[in-house]
Amino acid sequence: MAIQIDALKCIGCMACEMACGYHRDDGFALLSACIVTYRTREKKDYFGVLLKREEDLLIARPEGTEIKRIGVEEETDSSQEADASAKPMLLREACDLCKDMDLGPMCVRFCPVDAITNVE
Amino acid sequence: MEYLSGGKIVVVDLGTSEIVEETLEESLVEEKIGGAAITRHLAEAHADGNPIVIGTGLLTGTLYPATCGGIITAKSPVTGKLCHCPVTLKVALEIQFAGFDYIVLKGVSAKPVFLWVHDGIADISDAADVWGKDTWTTTDAWRKNMGDDLIQTMVIGKAGEEKSDCAQVCLNYWASGDRFGFGKLFGMKNLKGLAFRGMGLLEIADAEEFIELSLDMLEDLKESAFVGKQGIGDLCAAIGEQGAKEWLAPIVHRHSACYNTPYPSNTFVYIDEDPQRVTEPEQAEPGFLVTDLYGLLGFYKLNLSAKDACGLMRECARLGLDAATVAEWCAANGKQAAGDIQAALPGISSQATISGRGIFSPWCPRQPIWGAFEAAAQDGEQWWERRMAVAAVFGIHPLMAVMAPELSEADLLETATVGTGITFNQERLNGVIDYLLAD
Ligand code: SF4
Ligand code: SF4
Repeated sequence: MAIQIDALKCIGCMACEMACGYHRDDGFALLSACIVTYRTREKKDYFGVLLKREEDLLIARPEGTEIKRIGVEEETDSSQEADASAKPMLLREACDLCKDMDLGPMCVRFCPVDAITNVE
Repeated sequence: MEYLSGGKIVVVDLGTSEIVEETLEESLVEEKIGGAAITRHLAEAHADGNPIVIGTGLLTGTLYPATCGGIITAKSPVTGKLCHCPVTLKVALEIQFAGFDYIVLKGVSAKPVFLWVHDGIADISDAADVWGKDTWTTTDAWRKNMGDDLIQTMVIGKAGEEKSDCAQVCLNYWASGDRFGFGKLFGMKNLKGLAFRGMGLLEIADAEEFIELSLDMLEDLKESAFVGKQGIGDLCAAIGEQGAKEWLAPIVHRHSACYNTPYPSNTFVYIDEDPQRVTEPEQAEPGFLVTDLYGLLGFYKLNLSAKDACGLMRECARLGLDAATVAEWCAANGKQAAGDIQAALPGISSQATISGRGIFSPWCPRQPIWGAFEAAAQDGEQWWERRMAVAAVFGIHPLMAVMAPELSEADLLETATVGTGITFNQERLNGVIDYLLAD
């Protein structure tokens, strides 16, 4: 199973981020989410979604998805990480596909426009 | 207050610089539920300080859909009435996680200040460097100075500082639902604005049940009448202004949503960039996020090009002017050319036309949008005020309140009960709505 994100479908609502935060913290919080909406380029209307996985960062940009290997390309990652939130993505736990949740991947369940899918 | 809450109220006296933190008592939540009913209660309790009260709804910042809403409650310096302005985008979310459910600002500061609210701390900070600056420069400066680009702001521009009757409190860079001249009130208090950032956590009384209810609601909303529609253009069409949708379409870049809100009601237009562009633009400020339906329609009706209209809305937001009132003023004063309007903007001080009783902002259409609401057919005004009151109590996006009958009072009460462990029933909600709608 793998999470796929269609950044052009995304409406930047942050529901996935909060859903992942809930999965991590059993409450509503954003600090531990491993999926985040990057939204600092507000004046440019440039937004998408970042997902921290075991080995890499999946960066779903409007123009397409990019995968960056952790530990290989950090120097170019810094601006994206700064986008994510006060807690850099690389310090967060990787996506575990919500394996302990009966409801399944929470980000997939809560995305209102089905921009996130779980593919076999 | 243990659940869905930071549990704190902060009372800031701008005159003395005294900051007092109070506990948000569960008994107050039992009585008033939350949001606008508590901001009104606090506004009345501190009436001698002519307060501005900022708050979040009971469900704001949760996973229940459409819970992006916050509220600014104050006595309008223009209408003289206590009224409520909705707070949308991601601003109320940040307020919720910054540690205070309610913020009371009373008195008048001797010098320009802003309130920096972060991680359970509220600081009165000097705003001398941004006084005289526009809202965009100010938001940029606060984000840069505090080193965090995700800071959310409520901010006034020159219009508020100069106490224009149509001065508006803006959200980050964009227009808000402030049609009451709250921007002028901020200016009268020497308050440039507020900046919010927080990493809090909201605990949930019965988390699993809350999540189930939230998912059930989301599933219902995915079948709702608004599905397949998006942005401000479709909202124009829904209220009979199809032409405005077509006029705007060539410059639309993308639509986006307020926090956890299924309908993307905000439309970004590229004014100085190719709207088809999907890569990051090189220009720092290529366009404008249209968040105000009636501001847009007002300029559309002046027969301006969409680019000129949106460019003028951007100027209004920079100055902290209510675009809908500006457009109304232009129509009344025979100003039709973009250049003439641009030149006139800094001097405009005009009162918004507010139909109805002026308790809730006419920023939100006074009619059902796509959704079928039985009560609206019987008494549209009463229905609208009640939906606005419900939205403002629970923290629901006002547009969703007129769009989605699925967001029923019964469902909101059940979710609030599950989330807080406090039993809220219809009788209690009726009492709260009566309180909010009383003159
Ligand atoms: S699948 Fe679960 S852990 Fe992975 S990003 Fe989504 S919510 Fe987070
Ligand atoms: S929940 Fe879906 S639409 Fe919302 S930010 Fe995440 S991916 Fe985008």
